[in-house]
Amino acid sequence: MNERNEAVIRTAEDIAAMIPGILSERNVQAEWEVYVEAGRNGSFQIENEELEKAQRRFYSGVGLRIASGGYVGFSYATGLKHGRRGVEELVRKALALAKLGEVEFHGFPAYSKAPAVAGVYDRRIDEIPFEEAYEMAEELAGYMRDVKPSDEYILSGGVSLAVRTVGVMNSNGVEAVESRTMMKVSGYTVKKGERPGDGYSFQTYRHLVSPEDMEGIVRKSLEDAKKNSEASKMEGYTGEIALHPHALASILSVFLPNLMGDSVYYGRSRISRVGEAVASDALTIRDDARIEGWPGSYSFDGEGAPGQSTVLIERGEVRSFLLDETYARLLGMKSTGNGLRGFRSTPEIGTSNVIIEPGKESCRDPDVPMVVKVFGEHTANPVSGDFSLTVDLGEFRGRYFKDNMLTGNVFDLLRNISVIGRDPERVGNFSSPVVISRARIV
Amino acid sequence: MEMEIDVDTDSLIQTAEILANRYGIRYYEVRIVEETFSTVRSQNGRIDELSSNNEIGIGIRAFNGAWGFSSANEPSRVEKAIRTAMKIAKLSKQKPERSGIHVGDPIVDRVILKGRKEVPMEEKLSLVRHTSSLLDVDGISNRQVAYMDSTVHQIYFNSVGSFIETSIPRLRFFMAVTAKEGSNMQQSWKSLGGTVGWELMERTDVEGIADEIVRDALSLLKASSPPAGSFDVIMDPELTGVFIHEALGHAAEADSVKTGESILTGKLGEKIGVDGLNVVDDPTLPGKFGSYVYDDEGIPAKRVEIIKDGVLTGYLNNRETSAVLELEPNGHGRAQDYAHQPLVRMGNTFIEPGDWSFEEMIEEMRNGLYMVGDKGGQVDIANGTFTFAAREGYIVENGEIKEKVRDVALSGKILDILKDVRALGRDLRIEYPGYCGKGQWVPVDDGGPHVLTKAIVGGV
Repeated sequence: MNERNEAVIRTAEDIAAMIPGILSERNVQAEWEVYVEAGRNGSFQIENEELEKAQRRFYSGVGLRIASGGYVGFSYATGLKHGRRGVEELVRKALALAKLGEVEFHGFPAYSKAPAVAGVYDRRIDEIPFEEAYEMAEELAGYMRDVKPSDEYILSGGVSLAVRTVGVMNSNGVEAVESRTMMKVSGYTVKKGERPGDGYSFQTYRHLVSPEDMEGIVRKSLEDAKKNSEASKMEGYTGEIALHPHALASILSVFLPNLMGDSVYYGRSRISRVGEAVASDALTIRDDARIEGWPGSYSFDGEGAPGQSTVLIERGEVRSFLLDETYARLLGMKSTGNGLRGFRSTPEIGTSNVIIEPGKESCRDPDVPMVVKVFGEHTANPVSGDFSLTVDLGEFRGRYFKDNMLTGNVFDLLRNISVIGRDPERVGNFSSPVVISRARIV
Repeated sequence: MEMEIDVDTDSLIQTAEILANRYGIRYYEVRIVEETFSTVRSQNGRIDELSSNNEIGIGIRAFNGAWGFSSANEPSRVEKAIRTAMKIAKLSKQKPERSGIHVGDPIVDRVILKGRKEVPMEEKLSLVRHTSSLLDVDGISNRQVAYMDSTVHQIYFNSVGSFIETSIPRLRFFMAVTAKEGSNMQQSWKSLGGTVGWELMERTDVEGIADEIVRDALSLLKASSPPAGSFDVIMDPELTGVFIHEALGHAAEADSVKTGESILTGKLGEKIGVDGLNVVDDPTLPGKFGSYVYDDEGIPAKRVEIIKDGVLTGYLNNRETSAVLELEPNGHGRAQDYAHQPLVRMGNTFIEPGDWSFEEMIEEMRNGLYMVGDKGGQVDIANGTFTFAAREGYIVENGEIKEKVRDVALSGKILDILKDVRALGRDLRIEYPGYCGKGQWVPVDDGGPHVLTKAIVGGV
């Protein structure tokens, strides 16, 4: 166990040890949960092939939930050192808010130890001296200068390294602590001139990656910028469309809110029950927090429920929702370990790693337009499913296109999936092969 | 002094000075921020979040040819953070050709803005509960109400002797409904806010707004999608706001001009819009959601004319970009909070009104779409392509407003669309608070008059 793990769990234990006394002094019967977090992140920003900004930030804090008389309240404070008076104040505030707001309490999780997921922590990220990380970023900037084809190109990007330790304890006996590391590398290339273009590429990891991997991301952004500058608007088209994992990630972000337990419970989802057919039977989607070394993986969520692999859609039918403890109980289900949070807030339902199960076919048909990247997905309508996104890069019959809009309805698009490709690609915490469905290009 | 951040600033200044000397740092600045806030949210009549907290943190930036930054939220880490920022800056290799920042003269000032009225939590709760009950109507499957207020109290000091204390209140109120009929679902919402206190809620017609969004969501169930393709479009002031934010605002942020990434690089003085088109970003407008007095680099906020009579006349800048591009600093360096470095950001961005009445504009367009409301947008500043989305709209045929259509995104090219503007309404509204994301979130407002232009509509 490293030093930060110890500091975090010691803080949680100290606070947990004080709570029963504080409650009995106040003559209050209550359930409680202590969430503790401490971390550090360093990031390096490269502009015009020069390292321009570097930072190293520290943070820590404690969030407390207290439930009494059927209501729950929350309070938080920054830092890890809180004496008896500090904890009394947190308890007082949480109890007062519970009483005032009448926020209904449905229970904290009760689990024995969550099984550990391998590869969520890399000591090398935690312990890398800042000077060494700085040098690594300088070298990436140097690589950008080396591969810059001409003054028409501007290369930028960044590297960030983070470590975060979280600990949860509650009155049901949950006690969990875990350190997680994260590395993100990005490249952004702009091509100036008569035919401007740009390309953005990124990847996230739980482990320290090699300079070669980082350079690969810069090269990808350069290649995409070249393709983007060659691209032009294509004629309108309606019919079969191949979606690259990047584009599919954007489109799925319009659909996934419909699987969140709170949306379902509060009538904000198009889906109301497990078993509903919502997609083509070629489609299986799962949320999986237990994949070794993946950026969205964790052993337990923000309230101590074990991270798990949850099949959300199986052969087109809804198999489960994404749930935290509260909405699991409200819907009469079991938490899927998707309560995500920081110390400043209570858990909110979110995804870990989202995976579209690959199929068996190839999706390489030059006569089907391939949409590679789109933007503007946050303007789409998750409840109606309507989307109209701007195409950043596509390919059709050997030519690149951009500036068109890709329009459709996400529910229709999922139902019309005809082919799921066989070669998955990971983009951050999302993985999918190319998928073929129907939509319109305007 | 009514408010006081519980930090010994004198000793911090001393510590920073000693460390700057030790590390040979040319310039540094420190922000100590205390944020106090409360939030009340309800969904379908239940309060699902009630919070009230405050937090203090410190952010330090040091410049030595490149920036070093560090932040901390524990008192025991403050000195370490100052040291870290300076050590990082010290690591940077000198790059004399692009290493300038505007330093300027020291500013000593204290500006404490307060809402005219403050109320206890009980009153905020009862507003949320009351509003939620107003939205409890047949056909509405989901209703959300959220109230948020905050006060950001900041002490800024830098190595040339500036010492600026500011306090800014901010309030936001949001209500949304989802209407449902079988598998058909539609949403409508309204958001309001400003750098104000509870007095905003007292002059808000909550009942009227509740009626309006319920009616809207229910009528959208019967609306069809707008047609797809290139159309003449009249935008209402709210859609004009997100339009100009995406179509011009981001590309005029000087950080991307400095790197050369923005399509507006090198275009100062060029005609990029029609005659009579004026676009302004003004953080000094009183009470607006994107308003502030000093930016997070201690520079006074200034009104900037980005486009004057169709000509690109200004970029939004900060200490660094104003020096590199040799422009007058205009105070647009903003940070999400103490743990983030300031970036070049907008404040309140708007198109100035013209002299057309709405009726004249409908008549001028004859056939096209009248699109209303803001659903966000996004821009690719290198390619000059942007998208912006409307909450709903109407088909206009032969100069008459006809059937209602659903939400849709529109898109255009920065260097074309401002030349396609055919009419500017004589109305002006800047009352559409929101948060703009650029790796960090900052509060902004935008707006304008009704505007007639041409865009690609992503309909069916």
